[in-house]
Amino acid sequence: MGEHKLIMGKDIYFWNFIILMFFTLFEVGAVFFEKYPGTNTRVSVYVVWGILIVVGIIKGFGIGAFFMHLWDDPKIYLRVALFPTLFVLLMLWGIGLSNPEGVNGLPGWCTPDWGEQYATER
Amino acid sequence: MSGGGHSDVKNAVWMRALLMAGIILGLGVASYVGLGVVVAGMKETTWDEEADHFHDAEKDWKDAVAAGTIESDDTSAELYIAKEAAHHHEIDAHLSYLTYRVAGLTMLFVSIIFTAFLVISGVLNSAQPDDEHHDDHHGHEEHHGSASPIIFAFGCMLFLIGFPDFADGLHSLMLGSGSDAISDLSVGMIGLTIITIGIANWWREDLPFKGYGEQIATSDPFAGQHIRKAGIWVFLMSEVMVFATFFSSYLRMRTEWCTKWAFDEGTCTLEDGETLAMTASDYLRPGGAAGTGDFWTLLPGAINTFALIISSYTIVLALKVAKSHDYKVPTGFMGKLMPDKKSAIRNYLIITLALGTMFIVLKLVEWSHLIAEGFTVGSQEGSIFYISTGAHGVHVFAGLLIMLYMIFKADTVEWDEDNAQGIEYFGLYWHFVDLAWVVIFPAFYLY
Repeated sequence: MGEHKLIMGKDIYFWNFIILMFFTLFEVGAVFFEKYPGTNTRVSVYVVWGILIVVGIIKGFGIGAFFMHLWDDPKIYLRVALFPTLFVLLMLWGIGLSNPEGVNGLPGWCTPDWGEQYATER
Repeated sequence: MSGGGHSDVKNAVWMRALLMAGIILGLGVASYVGLGVVVAGMKETTWDEEADHFHDAEKDWKDAVAAGTIESDDTSAELYIAKEAAHHHEIDAHLSYLTYRVAGLTMLFVSIIFTAFLVISGVLNSAQPDDEHHDDHHGHEEHHGSASPIIFAFGCMLFLIGFPDFADGLHSLMLGSGSDAISDLSVGMIGLTIITIGIANWWREDLPFKGYGEQIATSDPFAGQHIRKAGIWVFLMSEVMVFATFFSSYLRMRTEWCTKWAFDEGTCTLEDGETLAMTASDYLRPGGAAGTGDFWTLLPGAINTFALIISSYTIVLALKVAKSHDYKVPTGFMGKLMPDKKSAIRNYLIITLALGTMFIVLKLVEWSHLIAEGFTVGSQEGSIFYISTGAHGVHVFAGLLIMLYMIFKADTVEWDEDNAQGIEYFGLYWHFVDLAWVVIFPAFYLY
């Protein structure tokens, strides 16, 4: 377990906790900025998405790898943990296809092999 | 459950559950009286006064409009500004009243459920003659079949049958009407009681477990691993799929809704008569489209996020202490709080329970504010928000009930390096609940 690895006298759980708290503070604090500090440029929705996803991945990694011990445990648990990723990806694909924009708004590589044609053009 | 029982758990030990129940009920009643009656009563008086001011200001404005002194659409008129300010104060006073009333009521209901859980578990188990508590006549490596999951599942079924009324009851609670809620909550509460009985049976089977005879999987892919650990991981992955369905439905609808954010980005347009879709974050986030969001509206969700992370850390600390062979007493205040290994584990678990309970209280306070502002379960946006965050809240609450048992065991049989895996396996569930919030919070509150 991670308590045996000490960094600056503290175990990995402590540092993981500090990192999780920092990124949560960053995540919540970022919401209060509608514009980039010191500028008049509005923060775009895609930047917000990017920040939230990156912070989410870091926090998810910290909780999964260290608090849930996936870093040290036998890899079978990591494989079990990653299994639903396939399910989640399938659902994201389903979201894309069932979206009103899905039929004629998605590029050809996103759809089943319809000869690079959109369904509505056949 | 456990592979075999060795510890002799006397009825006097089970009766300690009643002591715990008494303390929790006392805290719940005290919180209700303090927050839900005394403070909420004062806030209600202020709300009534602010409502009267608003009605007076509105009457003055209407009279002036009727007299032709000012135009009805003149938003710079002094009387109009006074009316709007009075309305704003009335809303603030209403929300302030709801905060204390709902917090007090939630503390009371949570403590009643905790108490029922402890009393039923304690009494059922203490009712059994002492000499029947020995469980090792089966042989301590033998697998023990258990009826507990079936009882538990039956309770879940009843709870779900009663859930629509249960939801109505909670709605009444949100509006601060405790008496209407009782009948609506009944079937759901019976289901919860049966769940409690099933869990009490689980207690009886697990409490004597001292860590010897943990069942080991003998075939791939988990060969050599504890069966309970493999089981909890497979369970957690099924939970990932449950939350993924909520999240994907939200994502699917969110890509279609014309929110202010999407409108400003130019990814959608509004036809005549159409209005912007309002999500929970539009009410909670500073700069949200509803115009109600500021630091204070986001605060409960933010506190809850920190609370879950801290509680994840405290349960890791409980596990670390339980697994340690040489517990070192901390210095200063922490040393007084945790003078020995037993009290350290128990108190870390109590802190985790307190943080989880705070999560539930703040969640319901936040819901009451959203409902008061018109964001109800009746809309698509509200439905997905309340179902997703509600399902997460139910998981937190289920975790708290398990935590009560963990604290009870810490206070009686005790956790040590041999049976600490119980804390580890529960910790996996608790960390998963934290992990789910890592996704829910930014998606529903910040975006």
